[in-house]
Amino acid sequence: MPELLEVRDVVAGYGRGPAILTGTSLTVRPGQVQCIIGPNGAGKSTLLKAISGLLPVRSGEIRFEGERIDGLRPDQILRKGICFVPQERALFPRMSVRENLRMGGYVIDDKKVLESRIEEVLRQFPILRERAHQRAGTMSGGQQQMLAMARTLIVKPKIVMLDEPSLGLAPKIVQQMFEIMHMLKDRGMTVILVEQNAIMGLNNSTWGAVLDLGKTLFEGPAQEVLADPRIKELYLGKAKAAA
Amino acid sequence: MSNVIQIVILGLALGGVYALMASGLTLIFGVMRIVNLAHPVLIIAGAFVTFWLFRLYGVDPILAMPVAAIALFCVGVILYKLIFEKEAASAKYSEMTVLLTFAVAMIFDGLLGWLFTNTQRVTTPSYATDAIFIGDVFIPTGQLYAGVASLVVIGLLLLFLQYTRFGYAIRATTQNRAAAQLMGVNVGLVSLITFGIGIGLAGAAGSLVSFIFSFFPAKHWEWIAILMSLVVLGGMGKLGGVIAGSLILSVIAAFVGAYIGSTWSTMTFFLALFVILLVRPQGLFGDKIEEA
Ligand SMILES: Nc1ncnc2c1ncn2[C@@H]1O[C@H](COP(=O)(O)OP(=O)(O)O)[C@@H](O)[C@H]1O
Ligand SMILES: [Mg+2]
Repeated sequence: MPELLEVRDVVAGYGRGPAILTGTSLTVRPGQVQCIIGPNGAGKSTLLKAISGLLPVRSGEIRFEGERIDGLRPDQILRKGICFVPQERALFPRMSVRENLRMGGYVIDDKKVLESRIEEVLRQFPILRERAHQRAGTMSGGQQQMLAMARTLIVKPKIVMLDEPSLGLAPKIVQQMFEIMHMLKDRGMTVILVEQNAIMGLNNSTWGAVLDLGKTLFEGPAQEVLADPRIKELYLGKAKAAA
Repeated sequence: MSNVIQIVILGLALGGVYALMASGLTLIFGVMRIVNLAHPVLIIAGAFVTFWLFRLYGVDPILAMPVAAIALFCVGVILYKLIFEKEAASAKYSEMTVLLTFAVAMIFDGLLGWLFTNTQRVTTPSYATDAIFIGDVFIPTGQLYAGVASLVVIGLLLLFLQYTRFGYAIRATTQNRAAAQLMGVNVGLVSLITFGIGIGLAGAAGSLVSFIFSFFPAKHWEWIAILMSLVVLGGMGKLGGVIAGSLILSVIAAFVGAYIGSTWSTMTFFLALFVILLVRPQGLFGDKIEEA
């Protein structure tokens, strides 16, 4: 029985630049919230971009349900069932909220199915219904993040990857984002969560992996990772070096 | 008063044609960030398709629009496949595309000049030299029909972009290419088809140009600057902006032509461009300049 997602010894970088991921490995099992933590610049976002197909993989392999997906285009990877909400949220700023939701279901051929799923999301998120005709680019950061996360409910992917959904949001709103994340999980999605705030991320996850300098340092059950002394060293060590 | 109405109507009619000429250019820029310097020469290619259909088979220039559009759509698809598809992956993409489109402009200029010589041509349907009077407002029918035909084509384009699935994909790619990919859009295919549509619009515009202006292959150099200024004014890649900008500026240019002198009429576009770049570099209708 193959793992849901298996990243093995992946090397990747931007353009002709140096490798940012220098042999990253990661295993994702179904039904969990897998948190990837690591200091700023560790390559967390780069890893998600590589999985989603936005960034080409130079060597190593990525398998989804046993099948190689590295080398596929992002649209092909989405159709396999992996949905990526990047740090920048991937909204269409001059489209309305409803149009953004329609784009979220771009791969759905049946118009009726698409419209009913949009209705479902709007029922779940009254704020989005209120703002259905507002341009996405004019909403607050929290509302934009909510839209980006809610939009994944339309394609119902097997895996959803969230890159720092809490970034730049007020603490109260951050809590809301984690609630939405748990809702996605309850709908049967496996979540890969990237968080810079290790404590908050791990406390909301079942499994944790620590990334630094483009490599996976170690992984384990979230609470064990949280208690691991190496975490403190990684973060505090960096802070000290920076000071 | 009738004079003013006449100037406004003529300005709008010509503005409609300019809007059609610039819409393909802005569509292509929006999706691919290609500044297509070959756009005007491809408009002239469309004018030649129309000219020969009229000369050889007596096909009405306005009815020839779909033919010119389809012919130039094919040219666009071939150009994209031959030249731009591979280039899209390159790091020096934007510098390269300017050079490449300049080369394409030179090649078509030479090709058309060689085939048809650089003599002035014009198609002459009966309405091209006709005029109608509404009260004492005098309106040349050629320009009126060309303006209306342009607005119809632009209207169809807007409906296509607003309501079809492929239209959503084009708009999405324009606004956020990576996000469009993450929503399942094959942006390579969207680029190919959009390039075809953009050049097809140039072909359709060429049909109208063939009877409201006289044309010859090298004439496109005059148009590049006007079309570029319209695209910048509209806010680079924003179709609504380019349409509104074309209409407004053409009306202003018509007034300048009527009251100051016709040589100053063209200057209106460049002066407006100059002022806009100083005061509002994102264009009349552009958003704040976004980070790359
Ligand atoms: N678009 C890019 N082009 C070139 N280098 C990049 C780009 N994005 C990120 N990097 C580099 O990759 C490294 C890892 O970045 P990133 O994956 O964003 O880290 P993290 O998400 O863990 O903070 C950094 O050194 C950063 O400078
Ligand atoms: Mg990051």
